[in-house]
Amino acid sequence: MRQRLLGGVLGGALVLAVSAGCGIPNRTDVQIEQRGPAAETGWSSGRGSEPPSRTASGKDAEAFVRNFLAAAAGEPDRAYERVKQYIAVADRPRLQEKQGSEVALSVVRLTDDPVIETGADSMKVTITVQQVGLLRANGMLVPPLATESTYEFRLISGGPAGQDDGGFYVADPPNVLLLSDEALRRYYQAESIYFWNSERTALVADQRYLSSAVPAERRVSEVIRWLTAGPSEWLRVGMSGLPDRTEMINNATGADGRWEVNLDMPGADENRLKQFGIQLAWSLQELDGTLEIKILNQSRRVIDLGEYRSFLAPDRVDNSALRFCVYEGAIHPLALAGESAGAVPVAAGANRNVVSAGLRRAGDDEILAALVVAGEDGRQRLTVGRGRDQVEVFTPGADDHAAIGRPVWIRSVDGRSYGLVVADNKLYRFDDQAAMRQVQLGLSGRVSAVAAALDGHRIALIVGGALHVAAISWEGGVPTIGPARRLVTSLVNPTAVDWAGESRLVVAGSAGRPAIYDVSVDGALETTLREDAGAEVTHLAAYPSTPLAGSFMYEANGVAYRSNPFERIQREQVQDVTPPPAGVRPGNPTAPFFLY
Amino acid sequence: MATSPIPDLDTTPRRRGAGWELWRGLIGRGARLFAGLRQTWRRSLQVRVVTITLVASSLLVGGFAYLIADKITSILLDNAKTDVQLRVTSGAEYAAKQFSLYSQPQEAQFQETVDGTVNYLAGGDPQQTSGVVVAITAENNAGVIEARTSPAVDVRPLISPELRAAVAGGNVANQIRTGRVTADGAATKYLVYGSPVPTRFGQVELYYFVPLTLEDATAGQARDTVVATGVALVLLLGLLAALVTRLVVTPVRVAARTAQRLSAGLLDQRMAVNGEDDLALLAASFNQMATNLQRQILRLEEMSRLQRRFTSDVSHELRTPLTTVRMAADLIFAERDEFDPAVARSAELLQAELDRFEELLTDLLEISRFDAGFAVLDAEPTDVVPVVHRVVDRLSGLAERVGVAIELDVPSAPVIAEIDPRRVERVLRNLVGNAVEHGEGRPVRITLGMDDTAVALTVRDHGVGLKPGEEKLVFNRFWRADPSRARQTGGTGLGLSISLEDARLHGGWLEAWGAPGQGAQFRLTLPARAGDRLTTSPLRLVPADATVPFGGAPGGGLLAIGPGPDGALAVGPAPAGPERHAEVGS
Repeated sequence: MRQRLLGGVLGGALVLAVSAGCGIPNRTDVQIEQRGPAAETGWSSGRGSEPPSRTASGKDAEAFVRNFLAAAAGEPDRAYERVKQYIAVADRPRLQEKQGSEVALSVVRLTDDPVIETGADSMKVTITVQQVGLLRANGMLVPPLATESTYEFRLISGGPAGQDDGGFYVADPPNVLLLSDEALRRYYQAESIYFWNSERTALVADQRYLSSAVPAERRVSEVIRWLTAGPSEWLRVGMSGLPDRTEMINNATGADGRWEVNLDMPGADENRLKQFGIQLAWSLQELDGTLEIKILNQSRRVIDLGEYRSFLAPDRVDNSALRFCVYEGAIHPLALAGESAGAVPVAAGANRNVVSAGLRRAGDDEILAALVVAGEDGRQRLTVGRGRDQVEVFTPGADDHAAIGRPVWIRSVDGRSYGLVVADNKLYRFDDQAAMRQVQLGLSGRVSAVAAALDGHRIALIVGGALHVAAISWEGGVPTIGPARRLVTSLVNPTAVDWAGESRLVVAGSAGRPAIYDVSVDGALETTLREDAGAEVTHLAAYPSTPLAGSFMYEANGVAYRSNPFERIQREQVQDVTPPPAGVRPGNPTAPFFLY
Repeated sequence: MATSPIPDLDTTPRRRGAGWELWRGLIGRGARLFAGLRQTWRRSLQVRVVTITLVASSLLVGGFAYLIADKITSILLDNAKTDVQLRVTSGAEYAAKQFSLYSQPQEAQFQETVDGTVNYLAGGDPQQTSGVVVAITAENNAGVIEARTSPAVDVRPLISPELRAAVAGGNVANQIRTGRVTADGAATKYLVYGSPVPTRFGQVELYYFVPLTLEDATAGQARDTVVATGVALVLLLGLLAALVTRLVVTPVRVAARTAQRLSAGLLDQRMAVNGEDDLALLAASFNQMATNLQRQILRLEEMSRLQRRFTSDVSHELRTPLTTVRMAADLIFAERDEFDPAVARSAELLQAELDRFEELLTDLLEISRFDAGFAVLDAEPTDVVPVVHRVVDRLSGLAERVGVAIELDVPSAPVIAEIDPRRVERVLRNLVGNAVEHGEGRPVRITLGMDDTAVALTVRDHGVGLKPGEEKLVFNRFWRADPSRARQTGGTGLGLSISLEDARLHGGWLEAWGAPGQGAQFRLTLPARAGDRLTTSPLRLVPADATVPFGGAPGGGLLAIGPGPDGALAVGPAPAGPERHAEVGS
């Protein structure tokens, strides 16, 4: 009994000792293992320019207004904060803030200088604007929602009474974030990103705006976010984005030519990854080196950006850019200084009564030719032919029209080629058998011009006196025009348009006087190419790629001009012509165009 | 301001009293228990062996168990730490890469990146919790960067200020903390690991909170197993020790019991001999010893019996011729006047020596009766006072002859005790006779005392006294203080021996005290009721007028130490009263 008691006591003591001494303690002291990685400071990222601060304009009210219209530029998360710096404290709550992806800047184009009326204690500012679009947080410029053409607000002096160096504050501010097109140009970079077409055979460019405030290291992340978000609304027909629910996990990281991106991409097989790699390589044009693609943390592919770029040339043309024009009813090559002139790829028998022509190379030395030929009765008819080196056989179209614009070839698919042409202010599709079918655009108004981008997936149209762009989807090998997007330009009554680059249009219209502008594909960025074209431009052809990128030729008042430098195309530059007999006034070269 | 209640003054002492009682009770029980344990410890070899085995093995097994459990725990913890350290290192690297894209904490998407990084490091899906919590905090940019946790739980209590400081100071550090991260969750042990994450604008901190539930459970199981094994081992060892001790102790106990019986007189007790081991040898040796002892004792008993028988026989055999000689001597003595003076003197001498011889024979017969165990106490309630008076009266003649005064200190009331009056009278006569003989003319004092249980008589003389050590010798047969002194004075040398036997027969004591030059005192103490056991005596053995040797209490009595006058310590004789006492001669 006693022994058992003793045993119990000792056993208890043993249990207590072991329990107290062993086991994972409830709390330990802090155990320092090693120095952690040290923070590296002072490495400047070379940040881009930022919009000026409120006081930068000093006492210049107009400069202040322009700065105010640039204040929203930068990273969208802090746009409201930046703009509110400009707004008087009392009025700041009137600017209703939106969060995250809802932040959008209204891009406006000032049609006039701001009107500033000085009042008793404030200045009233009226700005007249054109709504260009809405710049969303994801860098997309979408068509404008707002319709206001004027905004009014007041400026009050910022400093204490008697001191003017405090700058101004905006009172009664407009309830939107305004961004002038100037600021868009200055504080953003237009970036081209590429999407695959539906057939996954070609890349199509899409445009985004990247704030200059975004450091270079984050560009990769931004571009991949854009790619995962899919193409612009108007491009969605005919494009294929990344698989649904594709998301980037955190940021793409890296430096010095070694980058790494982690994605959640459902259904990512090797082919998709390769295509994605090509898409990335093209979208990150200025980047070289390697990029490692991880899918859900698993390294799947390391792509060499330069190598992948070379896998696919998105409709690059060879260097043989040739100029032609119509002279005396026939197509003739043009020989400009420093450029070589080619031979006319149309058989001499068919090269008669030509009003305008559209030639296009298709594949291996094959040439597509579409000619607008005037008949005896003055009505015009489209004839189409194709051949190697020289097109011999032409098929005339069934219908004749009062006026047919310059035909444009879109692309050749599976041996069949399609083009677009405007005839009697209607848009027609034609094939290589010259069968014309009218294309319904869903827009009311007369179609006056059409131009196709090099990739064959985008077209520019002038409908009802307004410039539009639209995407082409190839359903069953037949081009279908998707919903058109209206572009807001400062040109009125545009008359002719052509693609001058991947995302650039050359547009002729009127800005008081006939003028030619370079317009971005979303209409936001304009560059004046020719302020005074002299007369209404009736015909415009541009060359969209190297080596003559941006070069264009136009015809105004029956006279052909060229750009770079701007000069009239002389008759002497037209090749293969017989000099007219003396006394006969020589004709002018008209309807100039490029063969590419 | 709060008012304190007025305490009930009456209850306090009562409560204290009750508490005091309880406390005393507890103390008493504890003391009893301790005494019992102590007694058990002292008495039982088995308890001692088992206790020592249990204590020693507990310490040993406990130490080993502690080592093993501790080792298991530390291995588990180390594994967990290594695991988490790898995760933290790679997590911090990943976070550093992610954050290196930003040069300012205010930059857009930085907070999103923080969220994304935390979610990514926590395993992507915040709902799918493996229990691991990942958090990123920014001590230096707390206002700009919000701390994030995935899953979204409150982990702030788990980060101690020390850990926070260590990590904010740029160290990778860890700590184990216990806490709950959700309001309804159980408190869990967490291994908290923190690492700084460098960014271009300073540093943020990455924390991993890894629950140690599994490790804790494993350590607990290991510990339980070790403890159970240890306890079982200790109990087994205890049991083993008890068994082994029992094997050894049982024969020893049997031997002890047998020895006790032997010593009690049961000489034919023997141990059982089992087997041929050491214990069997012990038993056999013991039995042999017992047999030898028995033989010896029986032989001695027989010799003693023969001796006593011889004495008795000799006494009887001498009595018959002595009677004849006596008769002849009486005749000669009666006719002595008719002889010439020398012969008459011889006749007187013969008569006197014959008286002594007869007396000697009587005493020898009495002694041999005691030795043979034939003496029987014939006790009856008797008043002792008349007995004393009778003895004094008888001896008054002798006393007058030697000029010794006999003083009596006897209560006036009767002193009734169950005694054999004949024997008591003989004892008293012997004592007073001795006192008168050795009194050297000084008075002899007889004192009678009584209490509830005993009656005592002291006889005090002031003769030469006794030398130290002679107090016991005086009761020996034929003992003389000075052997050279001729046996001239009366007495046979057996008187005190017979008196002692008489006192013993009553169950009483007969003791002597004496000091050289101070005389002697004899004390007879008898139980008031026959058969009772004596514990104290109503009178003191050492007389009050005896001087204290070495300046002690007079007569070697008790010394009392107590406060004296003027605050000094006083040493003096203890107050008279019943005293402790050692029985002499029994």
